[in-house]
Amino acid sequence: MREKKIYVLAILGTILMVATMYDILVVMPDEAQQGAIGKMLLVHVPAAFAAFTFYGVAVWNSIKFLIKKDFHADSLAVSNIEVAQVFTLINLVTGSLWGHIIWGIWWTWDFRLTSQFMCFMLYLGYLLMRPAVADATQRATMSAILAILAVADIPLVFFAIRLRDARMQHPSPVLETGKMDPSWWTPFLLMWLVYLLIGGALIMLRLRQETVRREMDSLRRELHAM
Amino acid sequence: MEANELYFFYGYSAAWIIVLAYVFMLVRRGRRIDSELTRLKSLVEDRER
Amino acid sequence: MKRDLLAALFIARKDLRTEFRTKEALNAAVSFALVVLVLFSFAFDLERSELYDISGGLLWIIYLFAGSLIVNRSFTREVPNDCLDVLVASPVPAWALFLGKAISSFTLLMVVELVSLPFYGLFNNIIWMKTFWPHFCLMLLATWGITVTGVAFSAVTVNVRLRELMLPVLHYPLLIPLLIGAMEMSTALLRGDAVDNGPNLRLIVVFDAIFTSLSLYLIEFILVT
Repeated sequence: MREKKIYVLAILGTILMVATMYDILVVMPDEAQQGAIGKMLLVHVPAAFAAFTFYGVAVWNSIKFLIKKDFHADSLAVSNIEVAQVFTLINLVTGSLWGHIIWGIWWTWDFRLTSQFMCFMLYLGYLLMRPAVADATQRATMSAILAILAVADIPLVFFAIRLRDARMQHPSPVLETGKMDPSWWTPFLLMWLVYLLIGGALIMLRLRQETVRREMDSLRRELHAM
Repeated sequence: MEANELYFFYGYSAAWIIVLAYVFMLVRRGRRIDSELTRLKSLVEDRER
Repeated sequence: MKRDLLAALFIARKDLRTEFRTKEALNAAVSFALVVLVLFSFAFDLERSELYDISGGLLWIIYLFAGSLIVNRSFTREVPNDCLDVLVASPVPAWALFLGKAISSFTLLMVVELVSLPFYGLFNNIIWMKTFWPHFCLMLLATWGITVTGVAFSAVTVNVRLRELMLPVLHYPLLIPLLIGAMEMSTALLRGDAVDNGPNLRLIVVFDAIFTSLSLYLIEFILVT
C-alpha cells in the first residue's frame, strides 16, 4: 500500500516535472533583463519553498513527539529534514550559479542565501547527531529539541544578516518575488508542486527505512534478552 | 552556447542530479538495512529453535 | 518558586566553588584564549587601523572558542559517579538545575573574557579602556546568550558519542545571529564609530530572551530522558 503511494507520487511528480520544464525551457520567453538565466528563479526559489514546507512538517512532528512520545512522529521528522536538506542544497547550488552569471561571483553573503546556508548547517548538525546517540528514546528527544531550537534561530539569522546587509550592501542574486512577472506565477507554483510531490515520495521511502530501523532495534533487544 | 544559457542548463541539471544522488543514497542505505534486518530475523529464529 | 531559585543559586555556588578550587577549566580556557590570540596575531599582518575593523570579530571568536571549554563541562562534569542521575532525581526542578548551571558557566566565562581582554588589547594595540563600560554591558548580554545555549546543548550531548566534537558543530551555527550583533557592536565601540547600535542590541536581547525561555522549558525533556 505504502509502495503504491510512493510510485503514484513519483510518477505524478515526474509527469508534472516534464510538463513544467517544457513550459519553462521551450515555451516561456527569456527574462528581459537577465536573459535565459532569469528563469533560474523558477528552480531556485520553489526549492527553498519546498524545503521550508518540509522543515515545517518536521518541526511539527518534533513537537508532536515531545508531547505524545509517538516514534512515528520522530521518523517523520527525520525523513522530512533529510529531504528538506536536499532541496536546500538545490537552492544553494542554483543560487550560486545564478550569482556567478549575474554578479560574477560564486557566493555572496546576502541575507537570503546566508539564511538558507545557516538553515542547512543547523539541520546538518541534527542529522550528524542522530547516529551518535545509541538509545532510541534519547535520540528522538534530542533530535526533537534540536529541531525546535534550530527553527527558533532561523528568523533571528534572517534579521541579523539583513541588518548586516543594510550596512554592507551585498549583491542579491534573487529577484524580489513581488516584482515577478504575473505570467510566471503558474510555472513557479507548478515547480513548487513538483518538488513537493517528488519530496513526498522520497520522504515515504525514507520513512520506510526508519520503520525498518525500529524493527531492527526491537529484534536486537529481543536477541539480548534471549 | 552563451554562458547565460549554459549556466541555466547547469542549474537545472544540478537540481536533478542532486535529487538523483539522494535517491541512490537512499536505495543503497535501504539495501544495507534490509540485509541487516534479514540477518537479525534469522538470528532470532535460530535462537528460538 | 523562591525555594527553587535558591536551589538554582545553590547549584551555581557548588559548581563555582568546585571550579575555583581546582581551576581546571578556567586555566584551560584562559590559556586557550591566549593561544588563539597569538595565532591570530600571526595569521593577520594588518595595519593598526585595519585591525580595528576586524577587532570585534576577532574578540568574539576568541571568547567563543574559550567559552566552548567552559560550557562543555557544565553537565558533563556530573556524569562520573552518576551525579547527574542524583541531581535529576532530586526535588530540584529541571529548570532550576539548568539555571544554576547557566549562572555558574556564565560567571566563569565572564572571568575568562575579562582576563583575556587586556591581553587582546596588548597584542593588537587596541584601546579598549575608553569604551569599557558599554563594552562590558555588551559582554554580559552576549555571554549570557552563549552560555544559555551552550549549557542546553551540553545537556543534550551528555550521552552522545564524540561529545566534544558534536557540541561545537551543533552550538556554533545557532549562535550566528548573536555573534553578528555582538561582533558589529564590539567593532563599533572599539573604533569609536558614531553609529546606532540599537538594532544590534535589540537582536542580542531578543536572542537571549527566546533561547533562555526555550531552554528553561525544554530542559525538562532533555534531563528526564
